[in-house]
Amino acid sequence: LRRRAGVLVVVALLGLALAHTALAGDPAGLSPRGPDSPQASSIQDIYWLLIAITGAIFVLVEGALIVFIVRFRNRGRSRTLEGPQIHGATRLELMWTAAPIVILAVIVTFVLTKLSGIDRANPASAASNSLVVKVEGRQFYWNFVYPNGVIQVERMRAPSGRDVKLDIVSEDVDHSWWIPALQGKFDAIPGKTNHLHFTADKVGTYEGQCGEFCGYEHPHMVATVEAMPNGDFQSWYEKEAQAQASGTSDLGKMTFEGVCATCHGMQGQGGFGPDLQGNPIFKQPDAIETLLRHGGIQMPAVGRAWTDRQMNALIAYTKRFAG
Amino acid sequence: MAVRIAPSPASTVVSRGRYSSWLATVDHKRIGILYILTSLLFFVAGGIIALLMRSQLARPNEHIFTRNHYDELFTMHGTTMIFLVVVPVFAGLGNFLVPLMIGARDMAFPRLNALSYWFFLLGGIVLYASWFSAGGAARAGWYSYPPLSELAFEPGKGQDLWILAIHLTSISSILGAINFIVTIHNMRAPGMSWMRMPLFVWSIYVYAILILIALTELAGALTLLLLDRNVGTHFFLPSKGGSAVLYQHMFWFFGHPEVYIMVLPAFGILSEVIPVFSRKPIFGYKAIAFSTIAIGFYSMLVWAHHMFSVGMPTALNIFFMLSSMTIAVPTGIKILNWIATTWRGNVILDTPMLFALGAVGVFTIGGLSGVMLAAFPFDWQVTDTYFVVAHMHYVLFGGSAFALFAAFYYWWPKMFGRFLDDRLGKINFWLYFIGINLTFFPQHFLGLLGMPRRIWTYNHHGWWAAWNLVSTIGAFVMALATLVFIINAVKTTRSGRRAGNDPWTADTLEWYTSSPPPAYNFDKVPYVTSARPLRDLRRRIKEEDLVHA
Repeated sequence: LRRRAGVLVVVALLGLALAHTALAGDPAGLSPRGPDSPQASSIQDIYWLLIAITGAIFVLVEGALIVFIVRFRNRGRSRTLEGPQIHGATRLELMWTAAPIVILAVIVTFVLTKLSGIDRANPASAASNSLVVKVEGRQFYWNFVYPNGVIQVERMRAPSGRDVKLDIVSEDVDHSWWIPALQGKFDAIPGKTNHLHFTADKVGTYEGQCGEFCGYEHPHMVATVEAMPNGDFQSWYEKEAQAQASGTSDLGKMTFEGVCATCHGMQGQGGFGPDLQGNPIFKQPDAIETLLRHGGIQMPAVGRAWTDRQMNALIAYTKRFAG
Repeated sequence: MAVRIAPSPASTVVSRGRYSSWLATVDHKRIGILYILTSLLFFVAGGIIALLMRSQLARPNEHIFTRNHYDELFTMHGTTMIFLVVVPVFAGLGNFLVPLMIGARDMAFPRLNALSYWFFLLGGIVLYASWFSAGGAARAGWYSYPPLSELAFEPGKGQDLWILAIHLTSISSILGAINFIVTIHNMRAPGMSWMRMPLFVWSIYVYAILILIALTELAGALTLLLLDRNVGTHFFLPSKGGSAVLYQHMFWFFGHPEVYIMVLPAFGILSEVIPVFSRKPIFGYKAIAFSTIAIGFYSMLVWAHHMFSVGMPTALNIFFMLSSMTIAVPTGIKILNWIATTWRGNVILDTPMLFALGAVGVFTIGGLSGVMLAAFPFDWQVTDTYFVVAHMHYVLFGGSAFALFAAFYYWWPKMFGRFLDDRLGKINFWLYFIGINLTFFPQHFLGLLGMPRRIWTYNHHGWWAAWNLVSTIGAFVMALATLVFIINAVKTTRSGRRAGNDPWTADTLEWYTSSPPPAYNFDKVPYVTSARPLRDLRRRIKEEDLVHA
C-alpha cells in the first residue's frame, strides 16, 4: 500500500511539474498577486511570515501524527491488548499550551509593526500631494469621481509613485473594492465611507474584481487601475476635465461599455438583457433617464446617483440605437 | 420526581405499525435515527448542488447554471449543509447517544424531542419547496446580507421562505438544546460526576449552550429582516436611516458560535474514537473538557473577524485578531492531546479510526489557515475569496464530516445491530481523503490569485482555470465516496456482520446494553467509578474470575 501511495505522490508531483512548465510565467497562486505597492508588499511580508510559521507547525503536527500511526499501529498484536494507561502529563500539556501563545504573540507583534505601512482606514492621513478619488460601487460597475469632476467607469487612471486615497462608497448594495496587487479589499457599504490608500510602485495595469457578492452580475463587476507616469497623468487629467465639461469626451461610450454592456452586449445586441438596437425608448431621453434612475422590472437602477454630466453623455451615446 | 410517561403515545395501532410507529415515536434512539437519516438525505441534496456548482466552474466562461440560477445554488448549498445537515446530524447523534452514554432511559422531555425533529423536517421541506415559489429560491447567499436581501433587490418570495425555514430549524435546535441541557444535568447514572462524563457528552453540552445563545440571537436578526421586507421597517436600510453593518454584526454573532456548534461535537467524537482504537485512555481528559468550554466561551468573542474589510476601527480589528488567535490555543491543545493518545498505543486502523485520524490531519490544515485569516491585513487580501472557501471546507468537511463518518462507522453497530463493511469503509475513507484535498487545496491558490467566492463564471485561463478543473474533479471523487457509503449502508442492512453488545471493547456505557438497545435502554445501570465505566466493568469481571478460579 505504501509503495502504491509513493507512486501516486510521484505521479502527482510529475503532473504538477509538467503543468508548471506548460503554464510558465502565469502566477500559480502560491502567494498574493503583486505586490506592486508598498501596502501590498507589507501584506505580502505578513503572508510569508504566516506561511513560515503555519508551515512549520503543519510539518510538526502531521509528522507526529504519521510517525505515531506507523510506529504504533497494531501489526498483528491482539486487538484487545492495551497500551500503557497514560492519562496525561501536566508539564507537557502546559508546554503545548504556552508554546502556541508565544508563537501567536510573534505573529501579532509582526502584524502590528507592519500595520502602519498598510495605511488604511485613517481619513486624516492623506498626504498633501495625494490624489483623492471617490470610488462608487454600484450594481454592477465601479464609478470613479475625481476632484476636478472627471468621471471614469471601471478603469481608474492614477499616477504611479504618488499616494492615491480612495473614498469608497455604495449607493445600492454591499460591494468590495479589490485590486490584489495594490491593496487588500475594502467594502463599499451604503451609508458608510471607507478610506484606502495605495501607491503604485510602477507604471502598469492592475486588475481586480468586486469582492463582496452583490447580485447576479457580481462576476462581471471588474475593475482596472492604470498607473501612469505622473506627468502623463496630469496632462490626461486636465485634458479630460475640459473634454468632459464640453461634452466631447468618450464618457458616454465608457459608461455604456462599463455599465450597460454587461447585460445588453457591447453593441447593444442583447444578452441577458434585451436587444437595444431599434428600441423606441431611445427616442425619448426622459424615459431613458427615468429607467436608469429608478430601474426596470429586472434592471437595477444603474444611474440612480449619476450627475447630469454622466447621464447626458450616456443618453447622447445611446442615440445610435434609436435606429 | 415521580413523572410518569404514558407508555403508549398515541393509539396502539399507530405505535405498533411498522412505519407508523416511526411517525409517533418519542424514543430518543428512533428520533436520533430519524434525524441522522433525514440529514443524510439533505447531505446528498446539498452535495448534488455542490456538483452542479463545480460543473459550472470547471472551465472558463461555462454556461450551465448562470446568474440567478447559480446564486440560488450556492445559497441553498450553504443553507442546507449548515442548517439541515451538520447541526441536525449532531442533534441526531446526540439524541441517540447522550441518554445511552449517561445511562438514562430517555431524554428528559421525550415529546419535546419528537417535536424538535418534526420542526427540523418541516424547515427542510419549506426550504426546498421555496424553489417552486414565485421568483425561485433565495439567492442572497447563506448569510443574506442586506441591502441585497431586502425587498428592493430580492423581490421574490424565496427570501421570506428562507427566513421561515431558518426560523423553523432554529426552533428545532433550541428545543433540542434545552432537552440536552436538562438531560445532561439531571439524568446521569449514579456515580457519573461531571469529570466522569464521556467527552462526547461534554461537547454536546457546550453545543447545546451555544445553540441557546446563538440561534435565539439569529432568530432576532432574521425577524428584523423579515419585518424590513414585509412590514416596511428599515432596520437594515441605510437609505432610510438603518444600518447594513448592524445585520452583519448580528449575523456573525450567531455565525461564529455556529462554527463551533458544528465542530465541537465532532471533536467530541474524536475524543471517543481515538482512545478506543489506541487501546489507551484519552490523553488529558480534563484539558480536553476545559478546552471545550474555553472554545465555547471564546467563540462568542470572535464574530467580527468575518468583517475585517467592513471598515471597523483599527482597535477593534486588533481585538478580534487577538480573540480569534486565542481560540487557536485550546483547539491546538485538543489536536496535540489526540495525537498524544496514539503514542505507545495499540493503534487499530479500522474505518472509524481512519476517519478519526484523517479528521485530525485534515482539520489541522483548516485550523492553520484560520490562524492566517485572523491576521487581519492578510484577511483583507483573501476574505470573500476561495481561500476562505477552502479554509471553511477544511474545517467543516475535514473536521465535522470526517468525524461524522468516524461516528457512523463506530456507532452503526449500536444503532442497527450490524457492522458497516470495513473494506468498503476504507475505500470510502480514501476517496474522501483524496477528494477533499483535490477539491479544496487548490482553492487556496485560487483565492490568492484573486478569485472571489460566489462568482458564477470567470474569464481567466492558465493556472486559474487549471486549479478550478482540479477542484471540480475532486468534487466528483467526493461524490463517488458518498456513493460508496450509501452502497455500504444499504448492502449491510441485510447482510452485515452482526454486532454484540460491545464489538470494539469500548469504554462508555452505550456499549453495556444490547445492539440495538431495547426501548428502555438498560436493565440495570452499573455504578460509574471513572470516565471509562465499561473498562472498569471488564476488569472487575476479570478479577472476579481470577478469585473464583
